[in-house]
Amino acid sequence: MAILLELVLSGIMVGSIYALVALGWTLIYKCSGVLNLAMGELTLIGAYVCLTYYQWGFPFPLALVATLLTGFILGLATERLFLRRMIGEPILAVIMITVGLSFFFRALVGFTWGTDTVVFTPPVFPREPLRFYGMVFGQVYLWSFVAAIVLLVVFVWFFQQSRWGLSMQATADDEMAALSLGVSAKRVYALAWAIAFMAAGVGGTLLGNINGLNISVGYLGLLVLPAVVLGGLNSVPGAIVGGLVIGVLQNLSDAYVGKLTQGGVKEIAPFAFMVIILLFRPYGLWGWVKIERV
Amino acid sequence: MYLPSGVYHETYAATHGWWQTGFARGKMALLVLFVFTLPLYANLYVVSVANITLYTILGALGVQLLIGYCGQITFGHAAFIAVGAYVTAMGVLFWGLPYPVAAVLGCLLAGLWSVVFGLPSARIKGFYQIMTTMAAQFITVDFIITHYVSRVGGREHYFSLPPGTITIAGWPVESEIEVYYLAVILTILCLAGMANLLRTRVGRAWIAIRDNDIAAETMGLNVVYYKLLAFFAAGVLGGVAGAVWIPSLLFVSPEHFQLSWGLWLVGVILIGGIGSLHGVVFGSIFVTGILELLKFAVIPLSEFYPALSERFLYVKEAAFGLAIVLFLLYEPRGLAYRWQQIKNYLNLWPFAY
Repeated sequence: MAILLELVLSGIMVGSIYALVALGWTLIYKCSGVLNLAMGELTLIGAYVCLTYYQWGFPFPLALVATLLTGFILGLATERLFLRRMIGEPILAVIMITVGLSFFFRALVGFTWGTDTVVFTPPVFPREPLRFYGMVFGQVYLWSFVAAIVLLVVFVWFFQQSRWGLSMQATADDEMAALSLGVSAKRVYALAWAIAFMAAGVGGTLLGNINGLNISVGYLGLLVLPAVVLGGLNSVPGAIVGGLVIGVLQNLSDAYVGKLTQGGVKEIAPFAFMVIILLFRPYGLWGWVKIERV
Repeated sequence: MYLPSGVYHETYAATHGWWQTGFARGKMALLVLFVFTLPLYANLYVVSVANITLYTILGALGVQLLIGYCGQITFGHAAFIAVGAYVTAMGVLFWGLPYPVAAVLGCLLAGLWSVVFGLPSARIKGFYQIMTTMAAQFITVDFIITHYVSRVGGREHYFSLPPGTITIAGWPVESEIEVYYLAVILTILCLAGMANLLRTRVGRAWIAIRDNDIAAETMGLNVVYYKLLAFFAAGVLGGVAGAVWIPSLLFVSPEHFQLSWGLWLVGVILIGGIGSLHGVVFGSIFVTGILELLKFAVIPLSEFYPALSERFLYVKEAAFGLAIVLFLLYEPRGLAYRWQQIKNYLNLWPFAY
C-alpha cells in the first residue's frame, strides 16, 4: 500500500511539471488554434538557458527569473517571425511549421550545448531524501512540485483576473467579438507564445534537475500531447488534470505492467492511453464537443 | 496541358500518353540514360548520396500518397519502413528466404501493418489522426521492435547483415553501385506505378476523398475502403523503401527508423510540393543534395569555427528545419509548382502569356 501511495504521490509531483508544460500548449491552441509540436524543444531551450545562467554564477531563483525573461522574449520573437503569417492556413501547414521549428531548435540546442548529459552543479536542491510515513522522496521532486504549483496558480490567476489574461480568454472564446471590442489579437497570440515559452522553460529546468539534462528532455514535449488530449485540447483545467494523470499513469504502469513485459512501458503507456481516449472520448474530459463523422 | 502546334493524335490511347511530343520523349530518354549510366562516371561518394536520395524518394512516395493524394496526415511512416526493413532482414537472416521473396513478404506485411493503424481514420481526421499515426510510430518502433523484435536471434538490439547475405538470384547486392541499380529500378517502377494508379478509379477516388470526404461519400464512394486502400498502398511503398535500404546498411537497428525520420519525409514532400509526384523527386533531391552541398560550405568555415564540422549533423538538421519553415512561408506550393512556372515561362517565351 505504501508503495502504491509513493508511486501515486511521486507521479503527481512529476505530473505537475507535465501540467505546467501542457498549460503552455493549451494556451497556444486555445488562443491561436496552432497545434504545437515544438513544445519539447521549448522545454529544452528553457532548461539549457537556465543551466547556462546557473553556471555563470546566478543563484538559482535569479537564474529561473532570467529564464522566464529570456523565454518571454524568445516567445515574442518566434511568434512574430514564424507563426503570425500562418494563422488560418491549413492544419498540416501550421503543424509542419512547428515541426520545422522543432528540428531547428533541437539542432540549435545540440549544436550549442552538445549531447552529453549535464547536471546542475552544485546541486540546486539538497540530495538527502525525505522520509514520510515509510515513503521516500527526493527533495528535488517536492521542490519541483512546489515550483510548478506556484507557477500554475500564477498563470491561472493571470487568466482569470488580469486585463491581458481576460483579453486572451475573450479571443479564445470568439475572435471576431474580441476584435470588435478592441482586443488586439496580435498581442494575444504573442502573449500566448511568450507564456508557453516561459512555462516550458521552467518545466524543462525542473525536469533537468531531476534526471540531469540532455537532449532527451525534449521527449517531455511529446508527453504533453497525451495530457492535452486527455484534458480536451482547449481546456486549461483539463491540461492541468491531464498532466497530473499522465504522470501518475506513467509511474503506475511502469511499476505494475512493466514487470510483465521486457521494458519500454514507461515511454509507451501515455501514448497507448491516448489512443484509448481517442477511441472513446476524442474530445477529452472538458474539450469542446465537436463531432464530425466521416 | 501545353502542346505545341503540329502535334496531332490519331488514336484515343495517344491522347493519354505521358510524353506527347518528340522533345519530351527525348528528354525522358536522356534522363533514363543519365540515371542508368551515373555510376560509370561518378565516384562512389556521389553514388552513395544518390542512394540516399532514392531511398528518400521511395519513403516519401508513400507519405505523398497518404498526405498529398488521400488527405490522410501521417507522421509515423518510418514505422512502416521499419516493418519492411525488419521483415526483409529477418526473412534473409533467420528464415532462409531469398532476398526478393523476403522483400515481397516485407512489403505485404508493412502494408497490412499500415492498414491496422489506418483503421482509426474511419472515424477521425486532422490533429487526432496525427496523434494516432504518432502512436503507431511509438508502438511499432519504440516498443515492439526495440524491445521484442530486436531480441530475436540473440543479436542484442540490432541485426547485423554480414556481406554476402543479400543476393538476388545468386548476385550479391553489396556495393553502393549494386544497391544503386536495385534502387533505381525499383524507384522507376514505383513512380510509374503511382503515376498510373493515380489515373485509375482508385486514384481518382483518393483525390476526391482528399478534396472533400463528405462529397466523395455522397458520390457513392466507399470512403473507408478507399482510405484503407491508401494506407495499404502507402505501407507497401514504405516496405519497398525499407527492403531497398537494408543492403546498404551494415546492420538494422531501431535507430534508423525514429519519429524524426517520418517527420523528415513529411518535410520532404512539403518542400517538393504536396500532391505532386515531381514534388517527391524534387524534394528528395533538394533535401539530400543541398544538405550534402552544405557540407562543402562548412569545410572552409570550420577553420575559424571547428564546431561547425564536428557537429555537422546538427547544422544539417537546423538547415532542414529552417528550409521547411521558409518554404511554408514563402513557397507553400513547393518546388514542383516553381518547376511548372519555369516550364510555362520557357514555353511562352518571349511572350508573357
